[in-house]
Amino acid sequence: MFVDFFYTLKKGGIPVSPTSFLRLQKALSMGLINSLTDLYTAARAILVKSERYFDLYDQVFAHHFEGIEFKAPDPFELSEVARALFEEWLKDPGSLAAALGIHEDDLCKLSPDELLDYFLDRLREQAEEHHGGSKWIGTMGTSPVGHSGYNPGGLRVGGISRGKSAVKVAMERRYRDYSQEGPLTQSQMGEALKRLRNMVPCGPKDRINIRETIYQTVKNAGEIEVVFDRSLQDRLKVILAIDNGGWSMDPYVEIVQTLFNYARSQFKDLKTVFFHNTIYDYLWEDPPRRYKPLAVDELVRLDQETRFFIVGDASMAPYELMATDGSIYIEERSGKPSYERLRFIAETFPYSVWINPKPAEQWPYTHTISIIREMFPMFELNLDGLENAVTYMMRKH
Amino acid sequence: MQGENQTTRFTGASKYVLDEELAKIVNITMVLEMPLLLKGEPGTGKTMLAHAIAEALNMRLIVLNVKSSMKLIDTLYQYDTLTRLNDSRFGDSKRDVSNIEEYIKMGKIGQAFVSDGRVVLLIDEIDKADSDFQDDMLDILDQMEFDIIEIDKIIKAKNRPVIVITSNAKKDLSDPFLGRCNFHHIAFPDPDMMRRIIHVHFPDISRDLMDNTINIFYRLREIKGIEKKPATRELINWIRALRTDPDFRVQDLIEGDIPYLGVLFKKSPDYFVAREDVARFRM
Repeated sequence: MFVDFFYTLKKGGIPVSPTSFLRLQKALSMGLINSLTDLYTAARAILVKSERYFDLYDQVFAHHFEGIEFKAPDPFELSEVARALFEEWLKDPGSLAAALGIHEDDLCKLSPDELLDYFLDRLREQAEEHHGGSKWIGTMGTSPVGHSGYNPGGLRVGGISRGKSAVKVAMERRYRDYSQEGPLTQSQMGEALKRLRNMVPCGPKDRINIRETIYQTVKNAGEIEVVFDRSLQDRLKVILAIDNGGWSMDPYVEIVQTLFNYARSQFKDLKTVFFHNTIYDYLWEDPPRRYKPLAVDELVRLDQETRFFIVGDASMAPYELMATDGSIYIEERSGKPSYERLRFIAETFPYSVWINPKPAEQWPYTHTISIIREMFPMFELNLDGLENAVTYMMRKH
Repeated sequence: MQGENQTTRFTGASKYVLDEELAKIVNITMVLEMPLLLKGEPGTGKTMLAHAIAEALNMRLIVLNVKSSMKLIDTLYQYDTLTRLNDSRFGDSKRDVSNIEEYIKMGKIGQAFVSDGRVVLLIDEIDKADSDFQDDMLDILDQMEFDIIEIDKIIKAKNRPVIVITSNAKKDLSDPFLGRCNFHHIAFPDPDMMRRIIHVHFPDISRDLMDNTINIFYRLREIKGIEKKPATRELINWIRALRTDPDFRVQDLIEGDIPYLGVLFKKSPDYFVAREDVARFRM
């Protein structure tokens, strides 16, 4: 049952698993689902595992089951529909006639009242036919009826439902806000960065080492000898280098700020430095890149275990990266191309990544991105990208 | 099966306003004997749901508050080696030192398994633990048994507990985990729903106070740049605060005077933003 529905969901991009589909079958066979509304709720709870897909589910559900749940409409509702049809007719006679499968001219001959009656008859006929069909599921679902058009195979859903039909609920698209296109928020960043930890023993010795205690006690011929250890704590060092200059990064300022804000509260040992486009002799500890220079050569003195994140769009003129005096600031020119500087950083810190706010599909179109990608693993600045970057950073090299 | 369904159907509890959709999901989940994973903003009543189910179905509630440092085995059982070591050394307790079983204490999941009646097991804020913990835990909940290695004894669940799992995470949990749960996302209640919730908590509340507090509450939630929006819990506490203040009149609210902002906004930057916004509104 509903195999079509399953595949429509899958095609729609919702990760539905066959197991959960079988579970839905179980629920169906146990008689738990008695109406389309039940089906809507149950199928969502069982098949869809994230609110990010709720919106998509609503759309697929509405599309698939649209025009299917029909009770025989009462006369009043029918006349309402007929009136709506009539209005439609006034707007666009041609397409409505075509949809009803009659010639436009035939309908034109009728007076408005006759026309209304005619529609009413047609509708009653339709309703009965539907009523005869015993199951919700059928070819009806594929009929291309939308909110604005009529189709002889199915009636407009919004028009005749009593109370709140499941399809109608689905059509409200209540979950639009939760779909994946939403912006990256601080807490989402937090989720992604959460796993970036490096546990080392520190602090007072307040944990009992049971294994060692037993060993020592036995050695002591049963005289208890309790052995304490230090507890593990996070002592991860992180350097975050942010490209904060130039118009090319402007669109991403907000997203980078969020990352920055989060990082500040997350890591105890975090150093944030700034650069423009790419790194030359100096990084800057102040955002205007003027007062507190940090010579790149100095970086060797830092712990090798430091995780080095570079955030930037890596998009610039090729000479800025490759030429010996590539910097657009004259005072920064020192004879070493930025390319070498970056390589130096990548070699100094085995744990380094480049995070790019530009979508990955645009990367191949910028020459400098491909050059930088040869030196640093590059990840997108979104949830998945951050997570992959963190996974990479936590891997043993 | 049918008979059992009727006795264990969940329809709401005294202090919990249940929407119909969620009730259906809870019932289906219980019959399918699967864990129910609940997500949603803080303050949408995820945790309360478990309490409500326990109350309505007259079952015991066992709460497992997940912590990031938690190991799976802690939730199952604990082998109290230190006490045993101590007993063996001094021998002044009534416990039998050679019987390891006397030193096994059940963790929360263990308690749920050995309990005589069917219980509601609430696993709160699962997202705090790492994903290995989550997957392994689901294995146990799937098979409804675990092994106490020290005494090589398998603990089987006497009754399958009703399992409610909550998560605050925006990020999704792992696929194998999701595959084994039913899922629901509780949206923030709309004003109508909120009215009913408030009514459940304050049956004698005046219409004026209810309307004005709820209006202001939703307006305050709209303020931009707030890190933690006030949730249902804050609203209830706020109303409670207003009602206990003898000098408070509903008229104050209508005039734009909002006392006890601190009850609604718990973070100091949020508080200042809100206060500024309120001041602006008054002018």
